[in-house]
Amino acid sequence: MTGKPGAGIVVEGLWKKFRKGERHDSLRDLLPSLARRAVGARRDPMELHARDFWALRDVSLTIGPGQALGIIGHNGAGKSTLLKLITRVLRPTLGRCVVRGRIGALIELAAGFHPDLTGRENVHLQGAIMGMPTAAIRRSFDDIVGFAGIEDFIDTPVKRYSSGMNARLGFAIAVHLDPDVLIIDEVLSVGDLAFQERAFARMQELARSGIPVAVVSHQLERIATLSTHAILLRRGAVVCAGSPSECIRAYVAGEREAVQASAHTIPGLHLDELTLDETTVRSGARRVLTLRGVQEGAVERRDFGFGLKVRRLETGQVVSTIWTHRQGLHLGGAGRFAIRFDLQFNLPPGVCSVETVVLDARTEEKLGDGPWAHVEVTPGSLFRGQVQLNPIVELDRDPPVPKDQKASS
Amino acid sequence: MMSSIHPVEYRERHTVPGDVREGIREIWTYRELLYQLTMRDIRLRYKQAIMGFGWALFMPVLVVLAGLIVRGIIAQASGQPLVGAGLAGVAVKAVAWAFFVGAVGFANTSLIGNASLVSKVFFPREVLPLAAVLAQGFDTLIGAVALLIVLPLLGVGVGWGLLWIAPLAGLLFVLTVALGLLLACGNLFFRDVKYIVQVLLTFGIFFTPVVFDAAMAGPRYAPVVMLNPLAPVLEGLRLAVVQGHNLLQPLHVTEGARLVEIWSPWYLVWSGTVGAFGLVLSLTLFRRLQTLFAEWV
Repeated sequence: MTGKPGAGIVVEGLWKKFRKGERHDSLRDLLPSLARRAVGARRDPMELHARDFWALRDVSLTIGPGQALGIIGHNGAGKSTLLKLITRVLRPTLGRCVVRGRIGALIELAAGFHPDLTGRENVHLQGAIMGMPTAAIRRSFDDIVGFAGIEDFIDTPVKRYSSGMNARLGFAIAVHLDPDVLIIDEVLSVGDLAFQERAFARMQELARSGIPVAVVSHQLERIATLSTHAILLRRGAVVCAGSPSECIRAYVAGEREAVQASAHTIPGLHLDELTLDETTVRSGARRVLTLRGVQEGAVERRDFGFGLKVRRLETGQVVSTIWTHRQGLHLGGAGRFAIRFDLQFNLPPGVCSVETVVLDARTEEKLGDGPWAHVEVTPGSLFRGQVQLNPIVELDRDPPVPKDQKASS
Repeated sequence: MMSSIHPVEYRERHTVPGDVREGIREIWTYRELLYQLTMRDIRLRYKQAIMGFGWALFMPVLVVLAGLIVRGIIAQASGQPLVGAGLAGVAVKAVAWAFFVGAVGFANTSLIGNASLVSKVFFPREVLPLAAVLAQGFDTLIGAVALLIVLPLLGVGVGWGLLWIAPLAGLLFVLTVALGLLLACGNLFFRDVKYIVQVLLTFGIFFTPVVFDAAMAGPRYAPVVMLNPLAPVLEGLRLAVVQGHNLLQPLHVTEGARLVEIWSPWYLVWSGTVGAFGLVLSLTLFRRLQTLFAEWV
């Protein structure tokens, strides 16, 4: 099975302007602008008025048959706006957005559901909303209900469904669309784990069948497995375009930079850099990372705990997290400390970021992010094929102050 | 098979015929969605309602009862007896009026009531107010069937005049859709529209010959009453169904020494012109503004 020849998405120099603030503030501006539209005239689109901002700036991309584009970025980076422009819900301020073929959009899968209607009635309604011909809905009705696994409840009003059932039914309809072009927005996380796996497998099947796919997700490892290439959006602009792993790496790095700026703001705690005896490690070998810091004699006595996350940049996936308080480690009062994390890097080769988070050891409430470091895992014979870090964590109270830190503290 | 429903090309040049053509073409492409949305609106009205389809008769029956009271008072004041034909006329017009009020009311909130759809999924937005009007049409069909059973009891016979129901219903539909599209669109940008419309629909019955006949306004003011584009439809229905009058002919009655005109075919021309222009205007406006709907709803 291959996609429809010539199907694809072409986006050229796409700009989209939005306005901040309450809409009725600008009622005075609305009337003239509506009138202009009604008579068919348009103002210079590039003009930026007060409170206007660019949600997308000069975005261009092409997705052809056999290609699956992963779109990543922070909340508000413009991912969903881009998809809405592609699916024609929004209209570009400037630029072109051409889609050849029938779009299947896996966005807001239950948007058309009405709580008072039964599952059966909603399947027909939602199918029509997604652009499925009535005959096709009728044909795949049993498959849809079977895929969602709600045979016994199909004649029950949807308002009595659990949220999981609701989402599963919506997803089941969507994957039976048989589109020429597929758009997926953050729908990979509906239902329980078993359903997620089934849903993901079905999406992979669609992507591999050769139809052009555009996918938005915060689950970076899903992007990594599903896409053939990717773009990274930051404040509406494409800042990285290339292989999925390249973009994921840039994304995670950018995220850490943002975190870095807000780090060290936890009251009563000062953290130094996360140091590493060596920045490369052979797969399966051990390395020691040290987190140094000072707990200040704060008024409020707090029991700090630390988490050390190991994330593969290839996929963006956190492969393991080590919690100091679960290892029975407690700082136990003010003063300088050093925590040694002795880890075996039982990981496939590639770059990892090791990130620290600070939490309250009693309530497990996250207090903030700490320093981070990169570790490059090189191929080694010791890798056993299963991710296992075998951590040894040690606390050193009142360690010698590192030489370069003396002047500042 | 619905082939290629998303040839996404944005036209920069807008012409009125182009917009109307595109609107109609897109509604046609999405006719199955229109059907499903209409079915949804019909189903929702009767879900968890004990009276079920009885509600379809509720509004027209109330209007007829109101008409009965008004006519009774007029009969008392003028000394002329209340006849079955008068009541039948009110009943016919009540069904049509109930359609108009219901359809405009539902169409009015059809876009903002489906905000999550409008802001998330693409389809021609015209189908939402259209579905609201069509769903009301289903109710009216029930009312009309009930009326056809009742009319013979009021002494109305079957005649060729009944054939006028189809074109008049068509005209009423056009007028309703034109207003419905306009209001749904206006409401999306300005919620004020909702309140204005509620008031107008409530008091509209005083400006529209439903419980009274246009001729009751007297020879001088009857043409003024008929300026309301709905008036020719309602009066036409009454004359054709109850009196079996051919609407292509004028109708005069002698009142004392004078000859008073009750009906002129020009009334229909007027109403039809308003309907046609109204529909073109609202379709064009709707088309041009709907690219903003997702951002403003």
